[in-house]
This record gives sequence, C-alpha cells and structure tokens, in this order.
Amino acid sequence: MADSTISTSNAGASSTPSGTPGPSVPKAIGSLAKKPSDVTRQGSQKLKFVPTLPSRRKKEEVKQEAPPPTIPNASTDRGRGRGRGRGRGGEGRGAAPRPVPVEMTASGPFAMGPALAGTSARRSAPRSNFTPIVPLGPGNATALGAGLSGAAAPSLKREKETVAPIIDEDDYSDPDEGVEIIDMENVRQMDWMAPESLRKERKEKKKKIQVKIEDPSSPSSIKKKEEEMNIEEVDLANALDLSESEEEEELEDLIDDFAVQGEADQDADIRQERLYFFQFPEPFPTFVSNIPLTSPTAMSVDEPPSDSHPRKVSFAADVKPPGPSGDPAGASTGPDAEQTKELPKVDGVIGQLEVYRSGAVKMRLSNGILMDVTGATQPSFLQQAVHLDLQNKRLHIMGEVNKRFVVSPEIDTLLHAMELRDQAEANAMPIDDTNLIKIG
Amino acid sequence: MDDDELISVLPIHYSNSLSPNLHIHQFPLLSRPLQTPPAAAVSGKRIRARIKPITRRLEIHVPVDPRPEVWNGERSKSLGAARQEDDCEKNQDTGKMKQMEGEEPRLIEVRMRSELIPQEGAYMLGVVRNGQLHLQPINETHQFRPTLTYLDVMSRKSRRSRGDAGSDEDSDDGPPPDPDEPPPVQTAAKKEKKPLEVKEVQVSARKVADDKGNLQGGLSAVRREMLLAIRAEEEEVWQDLDFCDGETAEGHEAFEAVFSQNEEHLECKSDITAFLKDIEGL
Repeated sequence: MADSTISTSNAGASSTPSGTPGPSVPKAIGSLAKKPSDVTRQGSQKLKFVPTLPSRRKKEEVKQEAPPPTIPNASTDRGRGRGRGRGRGGEGRGAAPRPVPVEMTASGPFAMGPALAGTSARRSAPRSNFTPIVPLGPGNATALGAGLSGAAAPSLKREKETVAPIIDEDDYSDPDEGVEIIDMENVRQMDWMAPESLRKERKEKKKKIQVKIEDPSSPSSIKKKEEEMNIEEVDLANALDLSESEEEEELEDLIDDFAVQGEADQDADIRQERLYFFQFPEPFPTFVSNIPLTSPTAMSVDEPPSDSHPRKVSFAADVKPPGPSGDPAGASTGPDAEQTKELPKVDGVIGQLEVYRSGAVKMRLSNGILMDVTGATQPSFLQQAVHLDLQNKRLHIMGEVNKRFVVSPEIDTLLHAMELRDQAEANAMPIDDTNLIKIG
Repeated sequence: MDDDELISVLPIHYSNSLSPNLHIHQFPLLSRPLQTPPAAAVSGKRIRARIKPITRRLEIHVPVDPRPEVWNGERSKSLGAARQEDDCEKNQDTGKMKQMEGEEPRLIEVRMRSELIPQEGAYMLGVVRNGQLHLQPINETHQFRPTLTYLDVMSRKSRRSRGDAGSDEDSDDGPPPDPDEPPPVQTAAKKEKKPLEVKEVQVSARKVADDKGNLQGGLSAVRREMLLAIRAEEEEVWQDLDFCDGETAEGHEAFEAVFSQNEEHLECKSDITAFLKDIEGL
C-alpha cells in the first residue's frame, strides 16, 4: 500500500497508466517527480511499484537490436580501417535505428513539447548518415575502436559460457505519452553527439554476449570477436575498474595479441593489423647489419664481419635462419646512412617474441638481451599513429593504437650480465704487485 | 618457469624506414575516433591539418556537428567572429574563410593544437603481421587539445564594453598580474588603450630599444625569452597538410613502410647491462 502511494506520488500524472492526454501541466509535474533517470542510474532502485504490465517495447527493441547489427557488421567487414571499432560501432549504429519510431528521449525535462519535435528530427538525420560512414575510418559511435581497455579482451571462454539473455531490460511502469525511458547506459547510442555512458560490468558481459550472438555469420576470426570485445571493454576501463580479474584477462590478452596468427579470411585491402605501442627503456639497443657492403663508401655504418663478437650467434638456434638478404641490406643501409643525419637505416630481424602459456611474454633480442613485456596502463583516449610526410605535405593516419606495452629488461638476466661484467672487469685488472693478496 | 610452456614465437623485425616522421598523436579526453560528424561530412567538410615545421606544432581542424539540436548557431557566429579576430592577431588565419565574405564568420571547426611531449624511454610502434612483429621507432609524441584562444578575444571585448567592473559572465579577468611586470595602467575612459596594453608587453620584449619597455622596469630575462619564443612561433607560417585517413593509397604506402623488408638478422651492438649503466646518476 505504501508502495502504491509512493507510486502515485512518484508517477504523478502517469499513475493513471491510461495516459491522460491532458494539458501539459500535469505532465510537467509528473516528469519532475518521477525522475526515472535517477532510478536507472543506480540500477537497484528500479521503479517496480506499479503492478501494470511491464512495457513490452523495451524487449522488442532488444530483439531488434540483435538482427540489425549483423547487417552493419557484414558491411564493416568489407569496410576499411581498424577492424575493432567498426564492428562495435556498426552495432551501436545498428541498434540506433530501431528506436526511431519509439521516440526515445530521456524523460524529464527533455520530454516536454518542442524538445520532442527536436529530438525526433535529431533521430532521423544522423541515422541515415551513419551507415554510409561505416566503411570510412576507424570505429565509431559507442566506443573508440581501439580496444584501449586495461582489462583487455575478456577471455573468450567466458563469452561462450554465459548464454544469458541478451539485455536484462528492467521493467518500468508505463511511461507517459511522449516520455520514454532510456537506460543511462544506452545514452551513447542515441546520437552521434551523445555523451559517453559509463557501463556497468554487469552490462558489459551482456553486451559481449550480444555481440557474439549477433556475429555468427561474419568470418569471425578470434581476432575479430576479440576486437569487438575490446571495444566493449573500453568503458570498463573508463570506469576505472581495478579488480584483480583485470590482470588475468590482461595476460590472456597478451597471448591473444601475439599468438593469433595468419587469419586467411582477411581481405587484402582491409587493414586489420592492430597497432601496438611498446615502451622500451633507454637506450634502445643499436643494431647493425652484418652483411658486407657492396659500396665502399658505407663502411662506416656497418661493422665488417671479421669483427665478430663471440656472442653474435648465441641465438641462432632459436631464431629463424637468416634469409638471403645480401645486397638489399647493404644497399639500404649504405646510401641511406649518408642521407639521414640522425640514424642509419636499419632493417632486419632483431630477435623474437616468445609467448608462454602462463601469459608471460618475453622478447629475446640478440646479444643475450631478454626483456619482459607487460601491458601498460591503457589510456581511455584516442591515440593515433601518424606518419608525417613533409615532402608531400601529408599527414597519414596509420591507425589507432590499440594497446600499450611496457618492455623492461628481465631482471635475472640483467643481474647475471652485470655480474659477469663485473667479474670480467675485476679479472682484467692487472695485479702487478706480488705482495697483493687477491681476496674473493 | 621451466614448466611454462612456450606457445608461440614471433620473430621481431625492426625498421626505421619512417624515421624521423613517425608520430603518436594523443587526444586526451577524446574517447571516440577522430571523424567528421556525418552531418558535417554531408556538406563537404573534412578534417584538415597544418603544421609549423620549425616549432613542431601541429593543428588538426575537426569540423563540428552543425545540427541545431546540438549546436548553437547564434553563438557560433559570435564565436566565429572572435576567432577570426584572434586569427588575424596571431597570424593563424586558415585562409579558408574567404569563401564566406558575404556571411558572418561562424565557428565551423574545432582546432586541436598539439604539444610536443617528451618521451620517456624509446617508443616503438609494433604491428603483427604474418606471425611477425614489426617495430618502428616513434619519434615524436604530440598531445592535442582544442584551442580556445578566441575566447580571449571575446573576454577582452566584454571587458572593454563593460569597463573595468569585471564581468559576471564566464570570462574572468585574465591571469593575475605578473610580479615582474608593473601593473597595467587601467583607464576606463580610453577603451582602445586596453588592447594596446595587452600588446604592449609583447612589444617591449621584441624591441629592446623601446622606451616603453625600459620605462616599465624591463622584463626579466626569462620572461623576455619566453615572449620571444612565443612571438617567433606566432610569426612562423603555417603549412597546410593533407589529412589522409587510413583509406588513401598514400596512406597504404606509408603503412606498408612500417613493415621491415629484410630478413637479415641484425647484430646487436649493445648489451643488456647498458640499460642499467645508462641510467643517469647511477
């Protein structure tokens, strides 16, 4: 009973669900008092008092959300640019057209008079423009198509296990005419310019599943799904969720980043490669080509092969045998050394990246350098790798940087090497005084 | 770690073919990709860029979404006028406003200006292709933030019109007076003197023989240098750049250049101990 009174007071004019088409005044009161946006935000305090039938419209939208994204997804497959964002972005856009007939507005102050007309106009214009834009550029709408999350891709296992209902849309009391209840988390999909909505973790998982279900037809490589998963997780990163589960996911994601190789289904013109950012400690080891040069002028750049360090071929067993490189290497490093003032052009294999089952990733560079690769703090903002072409006056966007990694020397190897070096130095010290006693 | 099974091995290729022109551009607080809003793309607006090569400053102009639901057209006119004025002052006119001579200038784009960020350590861009990791060194890191310098013009105008009473609008009275400088002379009557005063400080920095500069007690050397640098930067001419998205053929070429062509194993000249040894102060 108290509930019903609360409901009447909260619902205000809408307590009569038949929708009184009265003057605007009762509606004004009703909307101010109800404020369902507050309710949705907290999540737990859903307005469930009114025992009327729950709105069916929500569920329809949900179901409708499922099929349309497949279409944009298919189109995005043909599209260009970074794969991740488009998948999710297309889906975000795919979800959007559905609400057009349903007059989705945030209830409350926006539900009033002219705003309705305004928002309906707003609906129609961007929606039609979205899909053509889909193939262009990197992802869109819902999230930065860059998989920027620290939590990275959730493990695919989890995705497959939970086959829960797509979106658990909470039941609301019947809204007023012209007042539509929008979950705060869906605000992002309302418009191109709509603000970002913080996603809850609970919703996250459901959205992941949604993506998975909707994306069965695409040549879904693990990478593609994972890309979409990454997009889901962007907002998780935004929410600064620092749970330990993040670390586990991160390790697995490192595996996914590097272990996934050679998807044959990628079209040639789609740049599906993801860009990663590595931070190395200074100074980055210098590498030189060992191939004898044909041009005599460039000998300053390269070491003659006779001057070979004993450790040169220490990892020959691990790495692939060097291909027949010969002249190209010499030619490239030679003349370029004179042209570039800063760095001689270097091009070649410098080591290998080893991925272990535990998720550890190590870089083994030549000369006994072993480095640990760990995921860095993933920023929530856009990062682009860009090539500046001053000669042609162009700025090429190579793409968005998906993930950042920090590379640090492996401590055991480093300490061991330091020890060896110290010993070598100690042994090199001449002991000319026979009276000296060597200690240690 | 012996029981840690090795899952896969990727050879690492390194190439610096794109040096010294490989940048990372960061857009703090921007969490969506840099794209022309569809409503603006329809009217033919595109993202543009320009650079001051010597000072290494970039600007990216992103068209705004001009739909009336999300954009205040009236305000854009007033801001546009302010921006045009600001452009003329600072020699940063895009030169594209000439088309709209008949109309009032509007704000049609967000200008993002770059700051060169010092790099900590060596940054590399890595791309995985065909089971190989290709690394390229990143030479510069830029952070882009929207420039709102036209707001200064507006606040100046409003300050002028309102006299010195201070404004209760969003504009503040500017930064507190610098202790090195004498307090600027305020005369409410002579409104045209105020903008002149704002510039006077800079003038005194440039012209060493200027009387006014000396009369005002002179600026500290550091401040003069800073002003010189600012002035030099403002006088440098912008060079327009083509903003190529990932789709163009040239973009393709640039992207392909990331990948190393060579299969040769390079010899490493440095030791792992160099990481520790080269730490300054250690």
